[in-house]
Amino acid sequence: MKEKKKKKKIFKMDLHKRNSLKGLVFVTPFIIGIALFFIYPIYMSLRLSISEQVAIVGMKMQGFTFEHFVRAFVVDTEFVPTFVAVVRQTLTKFPLTIVLSLIIAVLLNRDIKCRGLFRVIFFIPFLLGSGEVMQQLLNQGVDRAVLNIMDGKLIPYNVLSYFGDTIMNAVQTVFGLLVTVLWGSGVQILLFLSGLQSISPALYEAAKIDGATEWEIFWKVTVPMISPMLLLNIVYTVVNSFTDISNPLLAYIQKYGFADAEFSYGSALGWIYFAFIGVLVAIIFAIMQKYMHTSEVEEVKKRERKHRVFTIEKAPKRTFE
Amino acid sequence: MSVNTESLQLKKRPNALLSNLQLRWKLFTRKYANLTGAKHIVVRIAMYLLIIGLAFVFLYPFLYMIATSLMSNSDLNSSSVHWLPTEIKFENYAIALQLMDISRFVKNSLFVTVAASFGHIMACSFIGYGFARYNFPLKNILFGCVLLAFIVPTQTIIIPLYMTYSNLKWLDTYLPLIVPTFFGFGLRGALYVFLFRQFYLTVPKSLEEAARIDGCGFMMTYWRIVFPLAKATLVVALVLSVVWHWNDFYESSLYISTPSMGFLPPRLTTIITAANALPEQQAEMLRQLGLEDGEDTLNNAVVMAGALIISAPILVFFAFAQRQFMQGIERTGITGE
Repeated sequence: MKEKKKKKKIFKMDLHKRNSLKGLVFVTPFIIGIALFFIYPIYMSLRLSISEQVAIVGMKMQGFTFEHFVRAFVVDTEFVPTFVAVVRQTLTKFPLTIVLSLIIAVLLNRDIKCRGLFRVIFFIPFLLGSGEVMQQLLNQGVDRAVLNIMDGKLIPYNVLSYFGDTIMNAVQTVFGLLVTVLWGSGVQILLFLSGLQSISPALYEAAKIDGATEWEIFWKVTVPMISPMLLLNIVYTVVNSFTDISNPLLAYIQKYGFADAEFSYGSALGWIYFAFIGVLVAIIFAIMQKYMHTSEVEEVKKRERKHRVFTIEKAPKRTFE
Repeated sequence: MSVNTESLQLKKRPNALLSNLQLRWKLFTRKYANLTGAKHIVVRIAMYLLIIGLAFVFLYPFLYMIATSLMSNSDLNSSSVHWLPTEIKFENYAIALQLMDISRFVKNSLFVTVAASFGHIMACSFIGYGFARYNFPLKNILFGCVLLAFIVPTQTIIIPLYMTYSNLKWLDTYLPLIVPTFFGFGLRGALYVFLFRQFYLTVPKSLEEAARIDGCGFMMTYWRIVFPLAKATLVVALVLSVVWHWNDFYESSLYISTPSMGFLPPRLTTIITAANALPEQQAEMLRQLGLEDGEDTLNNAVVMAGALIISAPILVFFAFAQRQFMQGIERTGITGE
């Protein structure tokens, strides 16, 4: 007991300092992790991409050059088309993923029979594999087989052909993507479901009493309340589709990095790619920030910050000992 | 009465941007939204149809795998057999098991998956708590690092990462797959840090304050009070981590070159190559396995059987974790309230 008191006196600090020290203790593993597995690779990769590779063994490099970046855009005939194809694919896929997984999550959130069973079913493609198993299934054309069953029954192509080729093609592309999109939306569905579950039923009741229709409730209560989750989901979907194993661009980058041992060029390509994702995510954040619903708790916190005068921080120090 | 309030509401609305037509449509829909009975049933039926249709799309690959894996060679080539095999062939599973040499690899896969997932839930929960509860210098920058680690694809920094591990002499061991997870890195580690942070934000502070008044140190408070509360989130993170680690073959195949130390998912490729091989080579392979009767040919059915065997442990695990997982993710409340 005495020892403890002594110890306390040695480390006598005010509450804030002590708390920040405690926080640092909790985050220490992450800081070590950054030092060990993050800073060095990031730094090395950046340095590799802007310097000349002298020797493959030991990754010797020197100088400072933008040659690799120029090469990627000007000399390399494969990089830019692959890049554009990947971006286009992602941009068509991710709104579909978000919308469909939101619809499914809303359906699963209603009081339907066998809800638990349905939730398991909607998670099966995720379990079967983000990996080789699913790839194998796709190679065998299972996704197209699903479409063949629905073909003609869901969308009458004869009617569609009256609208002209562009619309016909667009519809066909969307339906072609649909199955892979659905199979890849397991995590998104779960995230949305968790967001929906956290909405207080009181809000729905209030809306109903005020005479809102289901449609209005969805847009004015549900969507704003899950907007933080929407942001997380959009970022997750974008990042995930860009870092997916089956992404052709990553295979291309890897081809340079490992098979051809052109480390500098490989990491330069990697950085172009990463910068693009970073900018995209930043844009998403900027757009979503405007429309994002800030929870009541945060509002209160903000108000508190404005009136800091009255908080304990500024109160005269008292000694209880 | 109801009409009166309705019109009052609409009059009160200052930004009456609705055109006359829109207004009429709105009143029309409201009128019929109140007619519960028949409309209610129609909506329900439509909902069930939609959800069953979607469930079918989601269940399709699984059903396809099961059906195909039980087919014989003649069934596979027959154009009249789509779903139900004429004779059920469990031999396909035996062949797949022997081809994959499963007993050696399942141990490796299991060990790394368990160790890495354990690291993830322990470390990410710990770190996430720090981010959620305390203020400390550089907190925002550090949290930015969490997001950065989530955004940067492993593939773009894989070369220096590989070099780091080779300098540490970790190549060809399981360490590069396990150790980073204990520091909140590894396969999608940053995602779990974020998940746990959001959960701990929702835990009321009063619990910890009560513990502190009772003389509990901050570490003990975390371990005894807060950590057990996060049980549901732990299951969520555990399931995600286990599934992703089990299915992962990118990093694992990079760092480990000794064939006997490999994992299960890449074993599927051996079956695929065997199934695509020439008939003479297939016969040779079958002879080596001790299956000489000509009926047991290597085909797509064996590939599907292998795929099912590989994903079976995950399916069993999910069946057990499912109940808590579903509750868990619902209670996580990642909205940050």
